[in-house]
Amino acid sequence: MTLRLELLPLIFALALASFACRAGGFWIMRFVRMTPRIQSALRAAPLAVMVGIVAPAAARGHPPELLGIAVTAAVMRLTGSDLGAALAGVATVALGRALLRG
Amino acid sequence: MSFSPAGWRRGFLRAQPLAVGVFGYAVAFGLLASEAGLSVLEAALMSATVYSGSAQVATVGGLAAGAGILASVVTVLMLNARYLLYGASLRPWLSQSTPGQAYASLYFLGDGNWLLSMNARNAGEQDAGFVFGSGIAMFLPWVVGTLLGSVAGSWLGRPELLALDFLLVAFCAAMATDLFKSRGDLWTVAVALAVALGVERLAPSGWTIVATGLAGIVAGYFRHEERA
Repeated sequence: MTLRLELLPLIFALALASFACRAGGFWIMRFVRMTPRIQSALRAAPLAVMVGIVAPAAARGHPPELLGIAVTAAVMRLTGSDLGAALAGVATVALGRALLRG
Repeated sequence: MSFSPAGWRRGFLRAQPLAVGVFGYAVAFGLLASEAGLSVLEAALMSATVYSGSAQVATVGGLAAGAGILASVVTVLMLNARYLLYGASLRPWLSQSTPGQAYASLYFLGDGNWLLSMNARNAGEQDAGFVFGSGIAMFLPWVVGTLLGSVAGSWLGRPELLALDFLLVAFCAAMATDLFKSRGDLWTVAVALAVALGVERLAPSGWTIVATGLAGIVAGYFRHEERA
Protein backbone atom coordinates (compact mmCIF):
# COMPACT_ATOMS: atom_id res chain seq x y z
CA MET A 1 0.00 0.00 0.00
CA THR A 2 1.84 3.04 -1.21
CA LEU A 3 0.65 6.48 -2.16
CA ARG A 4 3.12 8.61 -4.07
CA LEU A 5 2.72 12.23 -2.96
CA GLU A 6 3.75 13.53 -6.37
CA LEU A 7 0.68 11.82 -7.87
CA LEU A 8 -1.77 13.61 -5.58
CA PRO A 9 -1.88 16.94 -7.50
CA LEU A 10 -2.66 14.98 -10.68
CA ILE A 11 -5.45 12.94 -9.10
CA PHE A 12 -6.84 16.06 -7.44
CA ALA A 13 -6.84 17.99 -10.74
CA LEU A 14 -8.61 15.12 -12.51
CA ALA A 15 -11.17 14.86 -9.71
CA LEU A 16 -11.85 18.60 -9.96
CA ALA A 17 -12.29 18.42 -13.75
CA SER A 18 -14.66 15.50 -13.33
CA PHE A 19 -16.81 17.21 -10.70
CA ALA A 20 -16.87 20.45 -12.72
CA CYS A 21 -18.58 18.50 -15.51
CA ARG A 22 -21.00 16.79 -13.13
CA ALA A 23 -22.02 19.98 -11.30
CA GLY A 24 -21.57 22.53 -14.13
CA GLY A 25 -24.65 21.78 -16.23
CA PHE A 26 -26.89 21.75 -13.18
CA TRP A 27 -25.41 25.04 -11.96
CA ILE A 28 -25.70 26.82 -15.33
CA MET A 29 -29.41 26.02 -15.53
CA ARG A 30 -29.92 28.30 -12.50
CA PHE A 31 -29.68 31.15 -14.95
CA VAL A 32 -31.97 29.71 -17.61
CA ARG A 33 -35.70 30.22 -17.25
CA MET A 34 -37.56 26.90 -17.49
CA THR A 35 -40.08 27.21 -20.30
CA PRO A 36 -42.14 24.29 -21.62
CA ARG A 37 -39.96 24.37 -24.71
CA ILE A 38 -36.73 24.09 -22.71
CA GLN A 39 -38.29 21.25 -20.73
CA SER A 40 -39.26 19.48 -23.92
CA ALA A 41 -35.69 19.91 -25.14
CA LEU A 42 -34.17 18.47 -21.95
CA ARG A 43 -36.65 15.59 -21.92
CA ALA A 44 -35.45 14.51 -25.35
CA ALA A 45 -31.84 14.19 -24.11
CA PRO A 46 -32.06 10.70 -22.51
CA LEU A 47 -33.49 8.99 -25.59
CA ALA A 48 -30.88 10.69 -27.78
CA VAL A 49 -28.06 9.67 -25.42
CA MET A 50 -29.31 6.08 -25.38
CA VAL A 51 -29.19 6.09 -29.17
CA GLY A 52 -25.70 7.62 -28.89
CA ILE A 53 -24.57 4.72 -26.71
CA VAL A 54 -26.20 1.96 -28.75
CA ALA A 55 -25.41 3.23 -32.25
CA PRO A 56 -21.59 3.08 -32.06
CA ALA A 57 -21.77 -0.50 -30.75
CA ALA A 58 -24.01 -1.35 -33.70
CA ALA A 59 -21.87 0.61 -36.17
CA ARG A 60 -18.78 -1.49 -35.38
CA GLY A 61 -20.74 -4.26 -37.05
CA HIS A 62 -19.65 -7.26 -34.96
CA PRO A 63 -22.32 -9.97 -35.32
CA PRO A 64 -22.65 -10.79 -31.56
CA GLU A 65 -23.34 -7.16 -30.67
CA LEU A 66 -25.77 -6.63 -33.57
CA LEU A 67 -27.66 -9.76 -32.61
CA GLY A 68 -27.52 -8.74 -28.94
CA ILE A 69 -29.18 -5.39 -29.68
CA ALA A 70 -31.87 -7.07 -31.79
CA VAL A 71 -32.57 -9.65 -29.07
CA THR A 72 -32.71 -6.92 -26.41
CA ALA A 73 -35.23 -4.85 -28.38
CA ALA A 74 -37.33 -7.92 -29.16
CA VAL A 75 -37.42 -9.18 -25.55
CA MET A 76 -38.26 -5.66 -24.39
CA ARG A 77 -41.20 -5.49 -26.77
CA LEU A 78 -42.43 -8.94 -25.74
CA THR A 79 -41.95 -8.80 -21.96
CA GLY A 80 -41.74 -5.11 -21.06
CA SER A 81 -38.92 -5.88 -18.62
CA ASP A 82 -35.78 -3.85 -19.25
CA LEU A 83 -33.73 -6.01 -16.87
CA GLY A 84 -34.81 -9.22 -18.60
CA ALA A 85 -34.19 -7.69 -22.01
CA ALA A 86 -30.72 -6.42 -21.06
CA LEU A 87 -29.70 -9.76 -19.57
CA ALA A 88 -30.97 -11.59 -22.66
CA GLY A 89 -28.87 -9.22 -24.77
CA VAL A 90 -25.75 -9.76 -22.65
CA ALA A 91 -26.22 -13.54 -22.72
CA THR A 92 -26.56 -13.39 -26.51
CA VAL A 93 -23.32 -11.42 -26.83
CA ALA A 94 -21.43 -13.69 -24.41
CA LEU A 95 -22.61 -16.76 -26.32
CA GLY A 96 -21.86 -15.19 -29.69
CA ARG A 97 -18.33 -14.21 -28.65
CA ALA A 98 -17.67 -17.68 -27.23
CA LEU A 99 -18.86 -19.34 -30.47
CA LEU A 100 -16.87 -17.01 -32.71
CA ARG A 101 -13.72 -17.62 -30.68
CA GLY A 102 -14.29 -21.33 -30.30
CA MET B 1 -40.80 17.61 -2.81
CA SER B 2 -38.81 15.02 -0.93
CA PHE B 3 -35.34 13.59 -0.73
CA SER B 4 -35.99 10.66 1.56
CA PRO B 5 -34.33 7.40 2.59
CA ALA B 6 -37.25 5.62 0.93
CA GLY B 7 -36.27 7.35 -2.32
CA TRP B 8 -32.58 6.42 -1.89
CA ARG B 9 -33.65 2.85 -1.32
CA ARG B 10 -35.78 2.68 -4.45
CA GLY B 11 -32.95 4.13 -6.52
CA PHE B 12 -30.35 1.86 -4.93
CA LEU B 13 -32.38 -1.30 -5.61
CA ARG B 14 -33.37 -0.28 -9.12
CA ALA B 15 -29.69 0.25 -10.06
CA GLN B 16 -28.48 -3.16 -8.85
CA PRO B 17 -28.54 -4.86 -12.27
CA LEU B 18 -26.34 -2.10 -13.69
CA ALA B 19 -24.10 -2.24 -10.62
CA VAL B 20 -23.05 -5.74 -11.71
CA GLY B 21 -21.75 -4.32 -14.97
CA VAL B 22 -20.01 -1.46 -13.17
CA PHE B 23 -18.29 -3.98 -10.92
CA GLY B 24 -16.94 -5.98 -13.87
CA TYR B 25 -15.71 -2.82 -15.56
CA ALA B 26 -14.10 -1.66 -12.29
CA VAL B 27 -12.19 -4.91 -11.91
CA ALA B 28 -10.90 -4.47 -15.45
CA PHE B 29 -9.82 -0.91 -14.61
CA GLY B 30 -8.06 -2.17 -11.46
CA LEU B 31 -6.10 -4.64 -13.59
CA LEU B 32 -5.20 -1.94 -16.08
CA ALA B 33 -4.14 0.46 -13.32
CA SER B 34 -1.85 -2.09 -11.72
CA GLU B 35 -0.31 -2.83 -15.11
CA ALA B 36 0.28 0.91 -15.55
CA GLY B 37 2.14 0.96 -12.23
CA LEU B 38 -0.49 2.52 -9.96
CA SER B 39 -0.58 1.18 -6.40
CA VAL B 40 -3.81 -0.24 -4.96
CA LEU B 41 -4.34 2.91 -2.92
CA GLU B 42 -3.69 5.21 -5.87
CA ALA B 43 -6.10 3.30 -8.11
CA ALA B 44 -8.82 3.28 -5.44
CA LEU B 45 -8.34 6.99 -4.70
CA MET B 46 -8.66 7.74 -8.40
CA SER B 47 -11.87 5.72 -8.68
CA ALA B 48 -13.37 7.39 -5.62
CA THR B 49 -12.61 10.93 -6.75
CA VAL B 50 -12.49 11.02 -10.57
CA TYR B 51 -15.23 8.34 -10.79
CA SER B 52 -15.42 8.01 -14.55
CA GLY B 53 -14.57 4.78 -16.33
CA SER B 54 -13.69 6.10 -19.76
CA ALA B 55 -11.76 9.09 -18.35
CA GLN B 56 -9.76 6.92 -15.95
CA VAL B 57 -8.88 4.34 -18.57
CA ALA B 58 -7.73 7.11 -20.90
CA THR B 59 -5.68 9.00 -18.31
CA VAL B 60 -4.06 5.88 -16.84
CA GLY B 61 -3.06 4.92 -20.37
CA GLY B 62 -1.72 8.42 -20.92
CA LEU B 63 0.09 8.37 -17.58
CA ALA B 64 1.93 5.21 -18.56
CA ALA B 65 2.90 6.96 -21.80
CA GLY B 66 4.14 10.01 -19.88
CA ALA B 67 1.26 12.47 -20.37
CA GLY B 68 1.28 15.60 -18.20
CA ILE B 69 -1.39 17.06 -15.90
CA LEU B 70 -2.78 19.46 -18.50
CA ALA B 71 -3.24 16.80 -21.18
CA SER B 72 -4.86 14.51 -18.61
CA VAL B 73 -7.25 17.23 -17.42
CA VAL B 74 -8.28 18.05 -21.00
CA THR B 75 -8.92 14.34 -21.61
CA VAL B 76 -11.16 14.16 -18.55
CA LEU B 77 -13.06 17.32 -19.56
CA MET B 78 -13.65 15.96 -23.06
CA LEU B 79 -14.75 12.52 -21.98
CA ASN B 80 -16.99 13.88 -19.22
CA ALA B 81 -18.57 16.79 -21.13
CA ARG B 82 -21.75 14.71 -21.40
CA TYR B 83 -22.26 15.22 -17.66
CA LEU B 84 -23.00 18.88 -18.40
CA LEU B 85 -26.11 17.69 -20.23
CA TYR B 86 -27.02 15.21 -17.52
CA GLY B 87 -26.76 17.87 -14.82
CA ALA B 88 -28.73 20.41 -16.86
CA SER B 89 -31.56 17.93 -17.43
CA LEU B 90 -31.71 17.15 -13.70
CA ARG B 91 -32.16 20.84 -12.83
CA PRO B 92 -35.98 20.85 -12.61
CA TRP B 93 -35.90 17.84 -10.30
CA LEU B 94 -32.84 18.34 -8.09
CA SER B 95 -33.37 22.08 -7.61
CA GLN B 96 -36.31 21.17 -5.40
CA SER B 97 -33.86 19.64 -2.92
CA THR B 98 -31.29 21.54 -0.85
CA PRO B 99 -28.04 22.51 -2.67
CA GLY B 100 -26.16 20.05 -0.42
CA GLN B 101 -28.42 17.19 -1.47
CA ALA B 102 -28.29 18.24 -5.12
CA TYR B 103 -24.50 18.52 -5.35
CA ALA B 104 -23.99 15.31 -3.35
CA SER B 105 -26.25 13.54 -5.87
CA LEU B 106 -24.25 15.08 -8.73
CA TYR B 107 -20.96 13.86 -7.24
CA PHE B 108 -22.21 10.28 -7.57
CA LEU B 109 -23.83 10.79 -10.98
CA GLY B 110 -23.02 8.24 -13.70
CA ASP B 111 -24.39 7.30 -17.14
CA GLY B 112 -26.47 4.41 -15.89
CA ASN B 113 -28.02 6.04 -12.87
CA TRP B 114 -28.82 9.22 -14.79
CA LEU B 115 -30.69 7.21 -17.42
CA LEU B 116 -32.48 5.17 -14.76
CA SER B 117 -33.40 8.35 -12.90
CA MET B 118 -34.79 10.13 -15.97
CA ASN B 119 -36.78 6.98 -16.77
CA ALA B 120 -38.11 6.76 -13.22
CA ARG B 121 -39.02 10.44 -13.33
CA ASN B 122 -40.99 9.86 -16.54
CA ALA B 123 -42.77 6.97 -14.83
CA GLY B 124 -43.87 9.24 -11.99
CA GLU B 125 -41.03 9.04 -9.43
CA GLN B 126 -41.11 12.24 -7.36
CA ASP B 127 -38.45 11.61 -4.73
CA ALA B 128 -35.09 13.17 -5.75
CA GLY B 129 -33.42 10.72 -3.35
CA PHE B 130 -33.76 8.22 -6.21
CA VAL B 131 -30.90 9.99 -8.03
CA PHE B 132 -28.68 9.82 -4.94
CA GLY B 133 -29.51 6.19 -4.11
CA SER B 134 -28.98 4.92 -7.65
CA GLY B 135 -25.71 6.91 -7.79
CA ILE B 136 -24.41 5.28 -4.61
CA ALA B 137 -25.42 1.89 -6.02
CA MET B 138 -23.05 2.47 -8.97
CA PHE B 139 -20.29 4.21 -7.02
CA LEU B 140 -19.70 1.48 -4.43
CA PRO B 141 -19.03 -1.35 -6.90
CA TRP B 142 -16.81 1.00 -8.90
CA VAL B 143 -14.51 1.61 -5.93
CA VAL B 144 -14.68 -1.94 -4.52
CA GLY B 145 -14.17 -3.45 -7.98
CA THR B 146 -11.13 -1.24 -8.58
CA LEU B 147 -9.64 -2.42 -5.27
CA LEU B 148 -10.26 -6.08 -6.07
CA GLY B 149 -8.99 -5.83 -9.63
CA SER B 150 -5.92 -4.01 -8.48
CA VAL B 151 -5.20 -6.47 -5.64
CA ALA B 152 -6.20 -9.80 -7.07
CA GLY B 153 -4.72 -9.52 -10.54
CA SER B 154 -6.52 -11.61 -13.05
CA TRP B 155 -9.06 -13.71 -11.17
CA LEU B 156 -11.77 -12.65 -13.57
CA GLY B 157 -9.49 -13.45 -16.48
CA ARG B 158 -10.78 -11.75 -19.58
CA PRO B 159 -13.87 -9.78 -18.56
CA GLU B 160 -14.94 -9.25 -22.15
CA LEU B 161 -15.83 -12.95 -22.37
CA LEU B 162 -18.62 -12.39 -19.83
CA ALA B 163 -19.84 -9.55 -22.08
CA LEU B 164 -20.34 -7.28 -19.03
CA ASP B 165 -19.06 -4.40 -21.13
CA PHE B 166 -22.20 -4.85 -23.22
CA LEU B 167 -24.58 -4.42 -20.26
CA LEU B 168 -24.90 -0.63 -20.52
CA VAL B 169 -25.49 -0.86 -24.28
CA ALA B 170 -28.14 -3.53 -23.73
CA PHE B 171 -29.87 -1.52 -21.02
CA CYS B 172 -29.93 1.53 -23.25
CA ALA B 173 -31.37 -0.49 -26.10
CA ALA B 174 -34.08 -1.83 -23.80
CA MET B 175 -34.99 1.52 -22.28
CA ALA B 176 -34.89 3.26 -25.66
CA THR B 177 -37.25 0.62 -27.05
CA ASP B 178 -39.58 1.34 -24.14
CA LEU B 179 -39.41 5.14 -24.39
CA PHE B 180 -39.83 4.97 -28.13
CA LYS B 181 -42.97 2.88 -27.80
CA SER B 182 -44.60 5.15 -25.26
CA ARG B 183 -43.85 8.46 -26.94
CA GLY B 184 -43.45 7.62 -30.59
CA ASP B 185 -40.41 9.86 -30.71
CA LEU B 186 -39.35 8.89 -34.20
CA TRP B 187 -38.06 12.41 -34.84
CA THR B 188 -35.65 12.41 -31.88
CA VAL B 189 -34.39 8.92 -32.67
CA ALA B 190 -33.84 9.71 -36.34
CA VAL B 191 -31.87 12.87 -35.57
CA ALA B 192 -29.87 11.16 -32.80
CA LEU B 193 -29.07 8.16 -34.97
CA ALA B 194 -27.85 10.28 -37.86
CA VAL B 195 -25.63 12.36 -35.57
CA ALA B 196 -24.33 9.34 -33.62
CA LEU B 197 -23.29 7.45 -36.74
CA GLY B 198 -21.82 10.57 -38.32
CA VAL B 199 -19.74 11.63 -35.32
CA GLU B 200 -18.63 8.07 -34.59
CA ARG B 201 -17.10 7.99 -38.07
CA LEU B 202 -15.38 11.36 -37.82
CA ALA B 203 -14.34 11.92 -34.20
CA PRO B 204 -13.11 10.05 -31.13
CA SER B 205 -15.87 8.26 -29.25
CA GLY B 206 -15.83 10.63 -26.25
CA TRP B 207 -17.71 13.13 -28.38
CA THR B 208 -20.39 10.84 -29.76
CA ILE B 209 -22.57 10.95 -26.65
CA VAL B 210 -22.16 14.71 -26.25
CA ALA B 211 -23.06 15.43 -29.88
CA THR B 212 -25.97 13.00 -29.84
CA GLY B 213 -27.36 14.43 -26.61
CA LEU B 214 -27.12 17.97 -27.96
CA ALA B 215 -28.81 16.90 -31.18
CA GLY B 216 -31.61 15.37 -29.13
CA ILE B 217 -32.03 18.59 -27.15
CA VAL B 218 -32.29 20.64 -30.34
CA ALA B 219 -34.71 18.10 -31.80
CA GLY B 220 -36.84 18.24 -28.65
CA TYR B 221 -36.82 22.04 -28.68
CA PHE B 222 -38.20 22.18 -32.20
CA ARG B 223 -40.63 19.35 -31.74
CA HIS B 224 -42.26 21.31 -28.96
CA GLU B 225 -42.47 24.33 -31.24
CA GLU B 226 -44.24 22.22 -33.86
CA ARG B 227 -46.84 21.06 -31.39
CA ALA B 228 -47.39 24.39 -29.67
